[in-house]
Amino acid sequence: MRTCFLGLTIILLLMIPALAQTPTYRAPRLNGHPDLNGIWQAMNSANWDLLDHPAQAGPLSQTGAIGAVPAGQTVVEGGEIPYRPEALKKKQENFAKRQTDDPEAKCYMPGIPRATYLPYPFQIVQSQRDLLFVYEYATANRLVNMGPAQKAGSDTWMGTSNGHWEGETLVIDVTGLNGLAWFDRTGNFASDKLHVVERFTRTGPDHLQYEATIEDPSVFTRPWKISMPLYRHVEKNAQILEFKCVPFAEELLYGQFKKKTNN
Amino acid sequence: MKPLLRFLILIVALITALAPFMLTGQTKAPARPWTAPKTPWGDPDIQGLWPGNDMVGTPLERDRALGTRAFLTDEEFAKRVAFSEEQKEIDTADTVNPNPRVARGGVFVTCEQDPNLCRNGVRIGPPNYWDERGKPNRQASLVVDPPDGRIPPLTPEAQKLVADRTAARRSRACANSPGGCHDSWEDESLWDRCITRGLVGSILPNGYNTGNQIVQAPGYVIIRNEMIHEARVIPVDGRPHVGSAIRKWMGDSRGHWEGNTLIIETTNFVPGIPVGNTPTSDALHLTERFTLADANTLNYQLTVDDSKTWTRPWTISFPLKRSDDYQVFEYACHEGNYYMYNALSGARAEEKKK
Repeated sequence: MRTCFLGLTIILLLMIPALAQTPTYRAPRLNGHPDLNGIWQAMNSANWDLLDHPAQAGPLSQTGAIGAVPAGQTVVEGGEIPYRPEALKKKQENFAKRQTDDPEAKCYMPGIPRATYLPYPFQIVQSQRDLLFVYEYATANRLVNMGPAQKAGSDTWMGTSNGHWEGETLVIDVTGLNGLAWFDRTGNFASDKLHVVERFTRTGPDHLQYEATIEDPSVFTRPWKISMPLYRHVEKNAQILEFKCVPFAEELLYGQFKKKTNN
Repeated sequence: MKPLLRFLILIVALITALAPFMLTGQTKAPARPWTAPKTPWGDPDIQGLWPGNDMVGTPLERDRALGTRAFLTDEEFAKRVAFSEEQKEIDTADTVNPNPRVARGGVFVTCEQDPNLCRNGVRIGPPNYWDERGKPNRQASLVVDPPDGRIPPLTPEAQKLVADRTAARRSRACANSPGGCHDSWEDESLWDRCITRGLVGSILPNGYNTGNQIVQAPGYVIIRNEMIHEARVIPVDGRPHVGSAIRKWMGDSRGHWEGNTLIIETTNFVPGIPVGNTPTSDALHLTERFTLADANTLNYQLTVDDSKTWTRPWTISFPLKRSDDYQVFEYACHEGNYYMYNALSGARAEEKKK
């Protein structure tokens, strides 16, 4: 009897850490899988800089405090991006030329993972099989194939996305990225060897946890990871509007070839 | 072991012997009428890849000689087939051809007939095999209403607007240069600037990258166009349009289901956005209808209504064919827009020569 009681106590003691953990949120289902439908947006300054950064002036003094960089804490696990030495030099060159060379300034497609934490909303459109991600910025979008994995046909800005479910988590394997997109406005970058594995997990009715493992042996010494919560737009009238930014980038891109008028 | 083997052989023999009857039985079952599939949440399911490439080559407006006849006679259809055969022959021939034939307005012309088509005996523009050619069909024109298959006349105010613009363009110094005006990007079309083909243009059968994909989720239908990577999110939950101050290149779309037909109303266009070459007004209102006719045919209808621009609404209609193996490519138009650099820098270089 005493042994039995002791045994029970030990079992209960062993269970304490498990009980103390927040119970895993179980998302509503769509066709048996967690329903990720919704309009989501990051609420951080990762697009300005993935790493810890204080508030600072932007690259253009003409816009005053508008265009300055908001302070933010790193979204990178360990707080460091493991660049190879030569790649770090390239990152610093990117930073120096960020005003003209950041693909975001040119209104180019944002690539993965940057599309997720741009300061614009995106919509996850989850059907009974595939998912479509529709980003407000530059009408970028990508289909996530949930059928048998497809090989990337060619390198592209948004890559080739093959997804599968792991319990509560949507896992997306992204290959075929052309490596021309940056990770943020400071010039963090990768090459066409980039491989991203993303994980989307609902952690509440209006929260979606995002994780991306970034692997590119030609630029980084080891894989590294970013993570952040995404927040649902709960406004009744929330919808993806249009941010077709080509007209905003034409002066920057083609201004030098514009006919000079003698006015 | 042996009895088991004998038993297995017997089973295999029985199946083999009965198979033809089993199959015959299947084919003889009464054909059930086709019913449109539903999504798990109960909407008609029109998802899939619906490229418009089969209809490439069908003229937008009808040949006046056909009058109100919407479909071709056998003889007229035979001509379309012959044209398509000739095109096929050209497409598969050597791309460097001393006197290439190029399709222009339903006939083929050579460089001798039109020297502007070629430079040094080589066709200007992409090689022939680049383009989608479509399948010959009997539809006389994509425009089905008015009954003559022609876009109706412009209103007097729209005529004046177009005339004024034409006059302004002709009065510019660059108007007489052989390449036309390339003073700024604003001299280029919205398509050349990689902004949009517009909603009407987005789904019209086109020479290349004609993919259309439909994805649905509860409360939404998304029409994804391969060209210029558009993804139009259409709420189908009965909510009102956004406020009138919010203007969009692809407009603001709202959908609803009537039976198996998806009806989409689109307003809030960027003022002046052209349909074809005609600038439209703030009254532009488009109504689209998607109806699944059978498992592989999605009938598309689009009514253009802008009472300040055209004297009456007009309607385009054509079938989209399902093509599960169509591959949508990333159409990184703006990212690779060398045309813009070349057109503008070329025009500046020409000016320096003078």
